[in-house]
Amino acid sequence: MKKIFGIICILVIIGACSDDSIGEGEPNPSPGEGERFERSSMLVNWADNIIIPAYTEFSSDLATLKASLEAFQSDVNETNLIELRLSWIAAYTTWQHVAMFEIGPAESLGYQLNMNIYPTDSEKIESFIINDNYDLSLSSNRDAKGFPALDYLINGLGENDAAIVTRYNGTEKEALFAYLNSVVDDMVNLTDSVLSEWTGGYRDTFVANDGASATASVDRLVNDYIFYFEKYLRAGKMGIPLGVFSGSPLPQNVEAYYKGDISKTLFLEGLNAVQNFFNGKSFGSNENGESLATYLNKLNSVKNGEDLALLINEQFDLAREAVLGLSTFIGEIENNNPPTDMLLAYDEVQKVVPLLKVDMVSAMSISIDFVDADGD
Amino acid sequence: MRKITYIITVLSTLFFASCSSDDDGIDITTCADGVMNGDETGIDCGGGCAPCETAIENPEIYVFFRNGENTVNFSGQTTRIKMGQELLSNFNVPTNSLKKLKGMFAHEEGSDDFEDAFLNASDKSLRSKVAASADYFSTNATDQAMIRTTVDGFISAQVNEVYPNWEVVAAPGTAGQIADGERTRYISGQGLEYNQLFAKSLIGSLMADQMLNNYLSTSVLDEGENVGNNDGGVVEEGKPYTTMEHKWDEAYGYAYGLNTDPSDPNADLGADSFLNEYIERAESDDDFSGVADEVFQAFKLGRAAIVAKKYDVRDEQANIIRENISKVIAIRAIYYLQGGKSKLSLETPNYGGAFHSLSEAYGFIYSLQFTRNPNTEEPYFSKSETEAFLTSLLGDGENGLWDVTPDTLDAISEAIAARFDFTVAQAAE
Repeated sequence: MKKIFGIICILVIIGACSDDSIGEGEPNPSPGEGERFERSSMLVNWADNIIIPAYTEFSSDLATLKASLEAFQSDVNETNLIELRLSWIAAYTTWQHVAMFEIGPAESLGYQLNMNIYPTDSEKIESFIINDNYDLSLSSNRDAKGFPALDYLINGLGENDAAIVTRYNGTEKEALFAYLNSVVDDMVNLTDSVLSEWTGGYRDTFVANDGASATASVDRLVNDYIFYFEKYLRAGKMGIPLGVFSGSPLPQNVEAYYKGDISKTLFLEGLNAVQNFFNGKSFGSNENGESLATYLNKLNSVKNGEDLALLINEQFDLAREAVLGLSTFIGEIENNNPPTDMLLAYDEVQKVVPLLKVDMVSAMSISIDFVDADGD
Repeated sequence: MRKITYIITVLSTLFFASCSSDDDGIDITTCADGVMNGDETGIDCGGGCAPCETAIENPEIYVFFRNGENTVNFSGQTTRIKMGQELLSNFNVPTNSLKKLKGMFAHEEGSDDFEDAFLNASDKSLRSKVAASADYFSTNATDQAMIRTTVDGFISAQVNEVYPNWEVVAAPGTAGQIADGERTRYISGQGLEYNQLFAKSLIGSLMADQMLNNYLSTSVLDEGENVGNNDGGVVEEGKPYTTMEHKWDEAYGYAYGLNTDPSDPNADLGADSFLNEYIERAESDDDFSGVADEVFQAFKLGRAAIVAKKYDVRDEQANIIRENISKVIAIRAIYYLQGGKSKLSLETPNYGGAFHSLSEAYGFIYSLQFTRNPNTEEPYFSKSETEAFLTSLLGDGENGLWDVTPDTLDAISEAIAARFDFTVAQAAE
């Protein structure tokens, strides 16, 4: 009897102990060994070789977009519409490289949500065109501007290009172009404001804030980065249209819905941007600098005996491979019930989240500061 | 083996003690011999011994029958919560008139106030039950009138201050809209979101007040012939329940009126935008997990005690409910004060998010005056104390929440927590 009691006690104790260790993960080896990682050189690489060059390129893409719009406006024909569309796609592609940097000037402006809320509200856009009375600075109008509004205005106004051109040549010509220009100008202004602050003084502020605390640049940008990955890349571009959160697929919620066939391309561009950032790859070149990956290597981070940075890169690659194997996102969602292949690809994307949000940040002693929204 | 003998001895002592009586004149030999003998109607009870007690049959879920018929009914509470939901969803429709919103708040039978025809046909009204409990307001018509005026004021301010500025960017002193992440909040010049003030004030002034200070109160449960009727199993005319049973169920309905299966409400807690949702929110904080079950178990045992005519057990459960529901309101007040504080202290302050949180806090603080401390039978904070909190919340500058300081938010949080058995930090996470 006494023996059984003893065994039960031991089991209880074991149970209590093992509960604690599950989920917490094994802390990484102490960073004291080997050279110290310089957070400041990572910040310099981020600012000078990734963030500012990406914003600069994006700003120039928007200037091209504006020029294409002017050309289309002065001569409304299908060739110029196609040209305008290509400029829109080019800018939308570069956007995927800046969207994750919601810090500093971008954060103050709410840049991400002012540039790319989708699905866009086409009824609201139509009512603004008719009434010519709108204020694009209102937060309630964010779903009537930015890239998704342009998607509707460039791709969604008619069955085909001929029909779209006909509409631009019709009675609403002036109102349509007024609205198109307002939307593009708003994007240009927001972007110029972010870029000029980065090249003005914010770059130095950002780089100088090189400590390790909740308000330090590394901690904050890593939070923004993971938040972007989880919310905008994983959920926004795949999970929400797949119906992962709502229970039923919402194909109209894909990015660039009216264009129809570039949602996957935009996702892959976003995934590349995220992985490049992880590896400290310069924007527009193959140079690699100090990065989250080199930081992890310096910390000798391992998960289950394997190199954590390598594991993260492998999972990025697996996710990319799975998505590359899909047809267009709309096609996958509309033609398959359930859209199994895309769901499987989503799962590979999802698998990156705990690697970043649990393993990477605990190795770096960064705490995650975002939680699910309040919900009401 | 010796231990087992000991346990049996203890148990049998307890057993005998529970049935024995100290009354003189009773034949101890038959009333305490562990056998049903003499004129006893049970073992050692009934007849010339102490009366037999009916055991409380506490069911697993909240279901009670009399002669095979369900005796639980709280349709009036469900109706009012639905009215509240519809009114709340109409707050942010800027084309609504004041008359329409007021009609939804003070509905009259047959009036075409709601989308839901069932609600239009109902004779229930939200406003008539605001600050209307027997214990707190039956002899306090002045406060009742003032509180109703305040809640009316949230509705009219939304229409008169916020609707006209719907398409304006909010700024200190200027009503309008403000971004909160992907959402857009609509606030007054003081930063107040009136739909939040309204909803969270109603949690106290309607749900908690009716529950804690009216239906769970002996002044209502034991009113008139209620005790005699319940003892004798005398049901209301044409109904399967006694009045006392029904009053208790009406209290229950203010917490669980919209749950899919109201007999097992914790399965889908969060079914409304009022008390039910915030019991769920408190429950989901690890520091307070168990609170939802405590409330539910107390409701269930209390109701079972009414069936068993054990009114002392009933009243103990009422006090458990009072303490816990009061606590939920206080926890959420502090949670939103601290949430607002952290959103304001960001390097790029999230004003929209902070004002949303602080507007929720405002309503929960207002609701504190309807709580009930079982030890004092008074609210944890008086009407004037809650008003002082609200004055200080808006009092750091001329533009209300735009000017509020972290110190003020901490001071109010600490003052609230001080009267409960938890800390600001526990409520804040």
